[in-house]
Amino acid sequence: MSEFERMAEVSMTNAERRRQWLDEAVLAPARIVWDDWRARAGLLVVVTYLLLGTVGPLFVSEPKPNQGPLLVGAFRTLEYPLGTTASGTNILSQIVHATPSMLVMITAGAVFTVVLGTAIGTLAGYKGGQTDSVLMTVTDIMMTVPGLPLTIVLATALQIKGNPAVIGVLITINAWAGLARAIRSQVLTIRDDEYVEASRIMGMSTPTIVAGDIIPNLMPYITMNFVQQARAVIFGSVGLYFLGVLPYNKVNWGVMMNAAVNRAGATSSPSAFHWLLMPMLTIIVLALGLTLLAQGADRIFNPRVRARHAKSVASGDGDTPNTGDI
Amino acid sequence: MSYVLKRLGRSFLTIFVVVSASFGLIRLLPGGPLDYLRAQMIQQGGSDLSTAEINRRIAAQTNIAVDEPVYVQYIDYMTAIFRGDFGQSIWYDQSVAGVIGPAIPWTVFLTATALFLAFTVGVSLGAFMAYKEGSTFDVGSTGVGLVLNSTPGYVVALLFIAFLGYRLQLFPTGGRYASELTPGLNVPFLASVLYHGTLPILSMAIVAFGGWALSMRGNSIRVLGEDYLRVARLRGLPTRRIALRYVARNAILPMYTGLMIAIGTVFGGAVIIENIFAYPGIGFYLIQAINARDSPLMMGAFILITVAMVIGITVADLTYGWLDPRAKGGASRESY
Amino acid sequence: MPRDSQTERRGAHDPIIEVRNASVTYDLEYRDAMVLDDVSIDLRRGEILGVVGESGSGKSMLANAMMDAVEEPGITTGEIRYYPERGSEPVNILDLSDEELRSLRWEEISMVFQGALSSFNPTMTVRGHFEETLDAHDYDVEEGMERARELLEDLYLDPDRVLDSYSHELSGGMSQRALIALSLVLEPQVLLMDEPTAALDLLMQRSILSLLDDIKEKYNLSILFITHDLPLVSGLADRLAILYAFELAEVGPSEQVVRNSQHPYTRALLRAVPSLDAPLETMRPIPGSAPNPANTPNGCHYAPRCPLATDECHEETPPWFDTADDQRTACFNHDDAGDAVPLELEVVES
Repeated sequence: MSEFERMAEVSMTNAERRRQWLDEAVLAPARIVWDDWRARAGLLVVVTYLLLGTVGPLFVSEPKPNQGPLLVGAFRTLEYPLGTTASGTNILSQIVHATPSMLVMITAGAVFTVVLGTAIGTLAGYKGGQTDSVLMTVTDIMMTVPGLPLTIVLATALQIKGNPAVIGVLITINAWAGLARAIRSQVLTIRDDEYVEASRIMGMSTPTIVAGDIIPNLMPYITMNFVQQARAVIFGSVGLYFLGVLPYNKVNWGVMMNAAVNRAGATSSPSAFHWLLMPMLTIIVLALGLTLLAQGADRIFNPRVRARHAKSVASGDGDTPNTGDI
Repeated sequence: MSYVLKRLGRSFLTIFVVVSASFGLIRLLPGGPLDYLRAQMIQQGGSDLSTAEINRRIAAQTNIAVDEPVYVQYIDYMTAIFRGDFGQSIWYDQSVAGVIGPAIPWTVFLTATALFLAFTVGVSLGAFMAYKEGSTFDVGSTGVGLVLNSTPGYVVALLFIAFLGYRLQLFPTGGRYASELTPGLNVPFLASVLYHGTLPILSMAIVAFGGWALSMRGNSIRVLGEDYLRVARLRGLPTRRIALRYVARNAILPMYTGLMIAIGTVFGGAVIIENIFAYPGIGFYLIQAINARDSPLMMGAFILITVAMVIGITVADLTYGWLDPRAKGGASRESY
Repeated sequence: MPRDSQTERRGAHDPIIEVRNASVTYDLEYRDAMVLDDVSIDLRRGEILGVVGESGSGKSMLANAMMDAVEEPGITTGEIRYYPERGSEPVNILDLSDEELRSLRWEEISMVFQGALSSFNPTMTVRGHFEETLDAHDYDVEEGMERARELLEDLYLDPDRVLDSYSHELSGGMSQRALIALSLVLEPQVLLMDEPTAALDLLMQRSILSLLDDIKEKYNLSILFITHDLPLVSGLADRLAILYAFELAEVGPSEQVVRNSQHPYTRALLRAVPSLDAPLETMRPIPGSAPNPANTPNGCHYAPRCPLATDECHEETPPWFDTADDQRTACFNHDDAGDAVPLELEVVES
């Protein structure tokens, strides 16, 4: 209560307001991320891959056969740090040049899932009634269809070309259903909270309430899901490229693995094993980075952690545990 | 009771929609499987085959009579599928049901065992981590769990094949059982099945149990802070009862939703794993069909994978309603 | 400096629990937080003692301390003595072993919590809770369940229906009453009730309170009733204890405390609570806010908000003053409190 009075008494200038906004919206999250080693490591990994996918191809030569000797092992030479393939292609070149389309694929799939899942989940939860039951029936059906086999069948039947964005969407084709369900049940609990009810009584329109009161509360869910989907796209696409059931027109980590196993017998022959191992490590490190970043993001949306890091917000009782009533 | 009926109805609806969709995929898409099949036949038979003959053959293979109106084709297709007639496989030159039917139990064996292993090990580990919250064991296990959670099953499978299969020669690198054995309820056969199944199952289980452990850990820590746990302690209940009836049960129940999603993930993952280990399950035939452009086999495999998964999820859902009193009356799974 | 612990004279009354200089502290990183500060009070045999305080004033801590149930890492110091029978040897609760505590709790001293709904295991029927409690304390289950049914009936519940229900199937009032029955199933002598009606609507609160009196008589209970709602408890309790910022401000018979309080805080509290009987204009909020447990004032904790505060109040902890028969007040200026904080109405009919 005293907080209220104080806020009302002090009238802020616009400059102060801007500074406070900057502090709360940008600096506080940054501080939180930097404060936690896991989030820091995750951020570092993700930024590295982003650089790899954007400026990487400018610095690393394009992969082509006979760039060097055949099947040079990893970490042997500076020229081919990750070794070469059976046809003498530089593995580092392959990995770097496969990154841009991978990033497009990941982003497309994750955005598709999150947008569709959030939209359907909030709509069903907030509207209720007929809308809800129709949407949830569709959701339930989508949820019980096996994702990867569906992707395989669609990719074959639709004769898609190797467009990475389309593949990204295809791989997460029914992943929105799980998110929509989770979001809906969250919306159902939030919908009847007092502050949302207050907005409704004040005559705010449904979109305003959803955007202002409901979506911010779902952000932790949405971020977690974004990362989960990103991981699913990586795992799924690489797996399917590895099986050779997706069309491609550029090098890809999964295609590399496929070639390593089928052309050089990388599983049975130690001299070609690095060819298989390098793309696998590339996937694991990226997935781990995303997971760590998601955990950090979870902290950003935790209001208590946030308040401690925002300097402009009076954090009076931030550190004292709630010891009064149990 | 009405809840069970409603749930079963929804499962049936799902299968119905998927079968209808596969009809749509086969029949309606230009340049889709049907056109491809026709082109293939013309190529093979040359000009000897009349259009009517080609249509007849297509009908025999796909259950779709091309010269009938679409709705008749649809009804024919649906009735055939629901009678268990999935058409003829082009590649294997026998009925799709005959190819895939025997593969179903093998896929179910792999996925169910992997799921069970990952879940039980993960849940026990997670509970123990929560109990030792903050200890070196907890921190270490969390780290291991995170890494495993970031590894796809096929990577583990490939590493297994390379090291345990080829390098150390400890496990077979493919197949369902040693070919010289007679299938049946005899010890050498069952042992061989387990032996051949070990690596595929472990590949799927190892990457999954870390995730279960982490969520069990989180849930247990949350339950440990609940009022009813404090009241239970004050009431002087024995530790064992509190651990099992209070903490474990209330921490595991919310994970049931995850279990249902996991069924889907495991079935999807099995497609890749079965191919790496050349393990003739449904997923193996699905990829075979795609490589051979055998669309009746492909759609049959897809429909059967869906049916298997729908059954799995329905069973999980119904047992959940039975385990968690709050789920009664259809308001299920809202509390996660 | 511990306050005069002899203020509550033994002999004149028959205490069932004596609390002496009880403190609860939390050892935080840079400083200690005291959430109960040197409280001494008796719960007398057969009475209902109402403990009133704002949320965060330490009233829950007092109840928890009385059955040595303060949660880690809180540390309880002082003495809590339990007299099973009149004049018997006291049991020193804070010295009991874990096993002794286990049988003391629920068998002798029981507790009812605020959130009844969250006090039940959501995946177990109410019956299961009764049976496991009887079982854990080696009581005869069949006999105990008979008693449970009787208790539920006394609380105007349908035993069969309630026992076979899960907590989420019961209304707030029903689950609260079921929780009261659960707390009494081992026939304890003392019932500690921590805001047992806070989550209920007004009608349900009143009806539970009226049941409480009957239950108390029938089962020979002594009840400690904790609440933030002074008017609610004043009609029910025999005596009231007012807690402000982790220490006791005033203790006395309900009638007296309500009509003739000598403590400025009690009086302010009486003016601050809305009441059906009082016109709204007479309501006065108390200016300022309660202190943080890690940073309590040196002298009287209420001094920073008190209109009567002198330098003395800010520096020294006020001792107890006997302000009326069986009434004591911890205020240097208790004589002036009546004039400084007038009560403009006939507060709350008991």
